[in-house]
Amino acid sequence: MSRKDKLLNLLKDELKGNFLAASSLEESRLFIDIKKEALVETASQLMKEGARYQMGVGYEAKKKGGGLAMVHTFAFDADSLLVAIRALTAEDEPEFDSLTPFIPGAGWSEREYIDLLGLHFKNHPNPKRLVLSDDWPEGIYPLRQEVPYDLMPPSAEEVAFRLDEAPPGSSIIPFGPFHACLHEPAHFAVYVDGEEIKGCEYRGFMVHRGIEKLAATELTYNEIPFVAERICGICGSVHSVNYAQAVEAASGLKIPRRAEFIRTVMLEIERLHSHLMWLGVAGHLIGFDTVFMQAWRIREKIMWLAESLTGNRKTYGLVIVGGVRRDIDLTKAELIKKTLAEVEKDVQALEKAIINDRSIHRRTKGVGYLSREKAKEWNLVGPVARARGLDIDARRDHPYAAYDEVKFEVVVADSGDVWGTLVVRIKEIYEAIRIIHQCLEKLASRLQGSPLAIEIEDPIPAGQQGLSVVEAPRGEAVHYVLTGDDNRPERWRVRAPTYPNLQAVPDMLLNNKLADFPIIVGSIDPCISCTDRVAVIDRRSASGRILSRQELEKLSREMRSKT
Amino acid sequence: MKVVAVFINLIYFLLLAPFLEGVMRKLTAWIQSRKGPPLYQPYLDLLKLLGKENLNSGGNWAYSLAPVLSFSSMLAAIALIPLTGQANILAHSSDLMTLIYFLTLSGFCLLVGALASGNPFAAVGASREMMTTVMLEPVLAMLLILGTVRVGSFSLTAAVSGVAVSRGVSYFLMLVVYLLALQAFVARQPFDIAEAEVEILEGPYMEYSGPNYALLRYTLNLKRMFYAWLLISSFLSFILPANFFLSLLLQTVLIIVVFVLISLIGATHPRFRIDQALKYYALLLILALIAVGCAVKGW
Repeated sequence: MSRKDKLLNLLKDELKGNFLAASSLEESRLFIDIKKEALVETASQLMKEGARYQMGVGYEAKKKGGGLAMVHTFAFDADSLLVAIRALTAEDEPEFDSLTPFIPGAGWSEREYIDLLGLHFKNHPNPKRLVLSDDWPEGIYPLRQEVPYDLMPPSAEEVAFRLDEAPPGSSIIPFGPFHACLHEPAHFAVYVDGEEIKGCEYRGFMVHRGIEKLAATELTYNEIPFVAERICGICGSVHSVNYAQAVEAASGLKIPRRAEFIRTVMLEIERLHSHLMWLGVAGHLIGFDTVFMQAWRIREKIMWLAESLTGNRKTYGLVIVGGVRRDIDLTKAELIKKTLAEVEKDVQALEKAIINDRSIHRRTKGVGYLSREKAKEWNLVGPVARARGLDIDARRDHPYAAYDEVKFEVVVADSGDVWGTLVVRIKEIYEAIRIIHQCLEKLASRLQGSPLAIEIEDPIPAGQQGLSVVEAPRGEAVHYVLTGDDNRPERWRVRAPTYPNLQAVPDMLLNNKLADFPIIVGSIDPCISCTDRVAVIDRRSASGRILSRQELEKLSREMRSKT
Repeated sequence: MKVVAVFINLIYFLLLAPFLEGVMRKLTAWIQSRKGPPLYQPYLDLLKLLGKENLNSGGNWAYSLAPVLSFSSMLAAIALIPLTGQANILAHSSDLMTLIYFLTLSGFCLLVGALASGNPFAAVGASREMMTTVMLEPVLAMLLILGTVRVGSFSLTAAVSGVAVSRGVSYFLMLVVYLLALQAFVARQPFDIAEAEVEILEGPYMEYSGPNYALLRYTLNLKRMFYAWLLISSFLSFILPANFFLSLLLQTVLIIVVFVLISLIGATHPRFRIDQALKYYALLLILALIAVGCAVKGW
């Protein structure tokens, strides 16, 4: 009996009348409907069975009176199985039990739907505002069906996020909303005692663009991949591939093998550029600009390669539901091989310089330490998790695209610190190059001339769930799709790798030095845009007027004299 | 001639200091596979800043006065020094303590300005700068005291040239200490801790703009050049020719060589944390004390 059947039987036995239905289009996915009273019981049962929590998805059913739904997804990495449990509640009683008390990593997933759907979570330890801007009016929940995607409530003055009190004996250093070590807006209020970090509070979600809501109201299935790609400026293909896979899974589409290989090649090219970029940024964050410049010099070759393959340095526009739009022919394959040979040589030189540099050791070893147990508790993913001894990698554990046919090593370190992350990411560069070579070989030898995409003739049936994971350079990204009418998904939820990793940052920072803040936060390679995507209408900036320079100066002086 | 020497000091330093920054930037760029700005870029930067607006974000006089005081103290220190080993007119009314006093005052004014700005990052930068000063000023003092012990005079000229009078254990030990401390004296990587752009956003300089910022940058340039000059004219005084112009020429070349060294080290090291740096400074201080002890013994 497979793991899936065992789990299903176990849950049926345990939940009895609270178990409603189960469906499974593929061997590796399991979707369960339960009554909401059994949510905590089911989740704790799954965690006991060794699941890793992934994310929560909340939505309001499109059908009138359909109620509000909360989906939680779990991964069984050793068994290549993803499980989603769904519970419904009536609109006039929007309450679920919170999972956060025993799954800390679920904290944000639940807070998100307090803001966006007006849900309540009983026993949530910290139900503060997470996603919406501070002047967003109470009682308007953007993900509800009645709220239009382009609603712009008037902005309010004199509202600010209420930060928690700093612990006694410490003062607050504000890293953000804009800071040289953060490359996107995010606010860490760091509590310091002298130079030692005693804690921190995070306020983010400042770069909402309303992508999920837009997809559910305005776009069609095959327009979304191009918007999905724009969720992130670094791992764009991860999101377009991931979205396409989720739709394909929900509708049972089988795409051509050649397209799967091409997706794999582009994902790995993206990984190369992302790892080199991170390496450079990490160097910059510890004040080592030579590493920064050299890593980006090497990366530039990858960017040029991507441009000759797709027409763009980034945002490749390659993926559609059902396949890909561009081929990698033999001439392009030759170009890739030539570039990779150069890049590999350059990376080896850079690696030698970094690995043996004792002053880099001093700045990274023991910095941002988190034990394996803590890493597990926070559901860390990607190089950040692998640096802490967690042997997980979606490419191997939940194979997608062509990863079932290529050989590669999952690099794991056990130092649990920034140094471990650095080593993992450098070694993964070589693995990515290996994967690309294998794909090219197979493309050339047996997949010549097959089609790049399938024609989708029948409409995609509504009400089907699809769940997909892709190992982004920073870690596992998860997409959930619930198919709908009107040629668009009813709900599409994106969970970027930064989402779980960022929640663990306060723990990583604790008792480190202030000088290590940039590299610790940098070590998870935070992608704020990915994390902040979600479903909301533009923030104040969209409706705000443009201040003249005089007004701005006056305003900042007034603000200053008040503090 | 002795009066003119004061002005030669000032003009020499004021003209050359920005160029040396240009050398650093160019070399760093080459190491990083970049083209880098032209060598005269720092002059343009200073000119541009001088033409911009001074924003008084601190809102008090201490904040706006600090850059001028810091700059003028540095100039005062430079006016005193025996550029080519010859004492100038100010030597009658000053000694090595005066020099140390002006150097410290210049750094102190920067701290006052940083604290008066009210910016928390500037405050962190100021506290780091303060710790660095407390640990490093004694190392500088030890060097001059070494010279004083050798020649038995508190005069600055004697102290500077006294270092290399005899080249025994104490000379070489002090030379090692000075070279190890050089990067910290000039506040370049791995010791640009008080400015640390990605951590505390240039720390003490953060709130400054326009002419005030230009003065602070200029002060930093002068300070860097001073420490390079001190290395040449104390440890290598015996190779400088007696002819004033030849001596000045050789010194200029050697100062540029020192800046090449500074750039190389700066481009190949990440920044230290302040706690790591303080341990390092403590070691230097102990070695400097031993060097002076050796000098007293006549080794």
